[in-house]
Amino acid sequence: MSTHVDVRPKTTPPSADKDVPHSPRRRGRGRIIVSAAAYLITFVILFPLLWIMLLSFQTNDNILNHPFSLSQLTLDNYRQALDTLNLLVMYKNTLILAVVSVTIGLVISYLAAFALTRMVFRGGRRRTQNTLRFYFLAGLAVPVYILLFPVYRLDISFGLFGTYLALILPYIAVTIPFNILLLTGFLRDFPEEIEQAAVMDGVGLWRMAWKVVFPLMRPVVATLAILNVIYVWNEFPFAVTLINDPNMTTVSLGVSQFQGVYSVNYGAMMASATLVLLPQLAIYAAFQKQVIAGMTAGAVR
Amino acid sequence: MNWLTTRRSFALMVAPALIVYSLYMIYPILYSLYYSFTRFDGVSAGGFAGLDNYRQMAHDDAFWTSMRNTGVVLGIALFLLVPLGFLLAILLSGRVKGSGALRALVFAPAIIAPILVGLIWIFILDPKIGLVNAFLLAIGVPAQPQWIGGPTLSPYSIGLVYLWQQIGFVLTIFYAGLRMLPRDVMEASSLDGAGRWQQLRYIQIPMMRETFGIVTALVVTGVFKVFELVYALTGGGPVHLSEVMVSYMYHITFTTQQYGYGMALAVVVFVVGALASAATFLGNRRKGEVR
Repeated sequence: MSTHVDVRPKTTPPSADKDVPHSPRRRGRGRIIVSAAAYLITFVILFPLLWIMLLSFQTNDNILNHPFSLSQLTLDNYRQALDTLNLLVMYKNTLILAVVSVTIGLVISYLAAFALTRMVFRGGRRRTQNTLRFYFLAGLAVPVYILLFPVYRLDISFGLFGTYLALILPYIAVTIPFNILLLTGFLRDFPEEIEQAAVMDGVGLWRMAWKVVFPLMRPVVATLAILNVIYVWNEFPFAVTLINDPNMTTVSLGVSQFQGVYSVNYGAMMASATLVLLPQLAIYAAFQKQVIAGMTAGAVR
Repeated sequence: MNWLTTRRSFALMVAPALIVYSLYMIYPILYSLYYSFTRFDGVSAGGFAGLDNYRQMAHDDAFWTSMRNTGVVLGIALFLLVPLGFLLAILLSGRVKGSGALRALVFAPAIIAPILVGLIWIFILDPKIGLVNAFLLAIGVPAQPQWIGGPTLSPYSIGLVYLWQQIGFVLTIFYAGLRMLPRDVMEASSLDGAGRWQQLRYIQIPMMRETFGIVTALVVTGVFKVFELVYALTGGGPVHLSEVMVSYMYHITFTTQQYGYGMALAVVVFVVGALASAATFLGNRRKGEVR
């Protein structure tokens, strides 16, 4: 009986093939449709970026009247952009702010996280440590906007307004809660044996923190460094509130002034935007995996 | 290891972070809270105002508009960004050739400075110089909607730009969640004859509940941080019709210099944002219990 059944499919007419849910042909066609959709959607998402790059080579007349025309592409916009903008100053300021605040922020966050998780007191009670950790983590719920005006007043009363420190201090403060969240999370899971061995060898506390434990934390620290650098690099609310000297302008603040600087010179505006955008995308392309890991740290384990 | 730890070295290690954090994060919150009960204008102390600043909000149409617009952005984020991000994660989850590269490309908008994102989208949405209306004209549609700068559409446009900016980020979190699903469940269901839709409906979505919760929480907190997009796209105008809560607070504080009222608005932004996050958190927990 079973042999009869086995033979049957061969005798069914070929048109019935279409009803079989996973016939190879149908699966192949489905895959092509899915791939086409994936490529198309990605292209649509990237299109705004390609569009401003295209506009940056158009004359102003074309931007207004024939934006789709490719007949009169020009480099004039870039010449004007480079003449008008002080890109070097913008990059220098942003780089100083990013390097200094991220380095100091990570060093002091690490020290605090180390003390909050790895130190052991007589009696073994950790109440102070847990309370302090909670105090730091509470900052995760604070939106920076509530800080803008008070920080502006603080900077003035400390005489810092107009200096890099006016921005560096709030940037450090804002990054501390998440730094401590991630660092204490990793430090807690970390076996005590390594420290015990080091103690036997007579290693002191500061050497322990920097030479023994810190090297093991490198991946977390790298993730946080990337996340923090991107934060400071793109930061706008503090920059627009605390900087009023053109020589202190950061990249984000400079971009916000493009419309005022160029008015209706759209081509030069788009050339400037491209000059800011391309380096950022290039760095992203080079460190894509680390950047994505850094920005989703905390949400993705 | 007790000999390692003295109170002095503990204090030395914690102090730098504790001082900077307390001075630039905790003290400012108390400062804002205090000045939200005053008529402070930056020069004279202005005197104690009790709850006047908070009462003023009730009669401030622009404040309610800013609340409504924040709600519009939140709605777009919850009902478009989250589901589209999930579908895109499924679409780009490996069966397509080069899907890793596509995921990285879709993530790109998330690393661009928000202020630059706003500037870029002016050239897409502006009624006169924008791509969308130029395209409509080119294909013979006479309508030239005021995507930004008009009285009605701006908050929706801002929500869509926010969606564009965040979708790669949301996708990445969903993708990580999808990869954590046990593979044998999918294989077994496939052998049992479950179609792709049934797998999605009965296996992947229910098993990703925790990821949906994380994404929702992140998106809700993110919406209350939207500022640069409004600043660049509309400046909050015309007449504050496209203002969101944060941009309106900024305007009151730094443009009109009504510091007392501005701080009251800042406190409300903080509280509303915290309540929204808390609601998401509780919602997540309850869903978890049902399971």
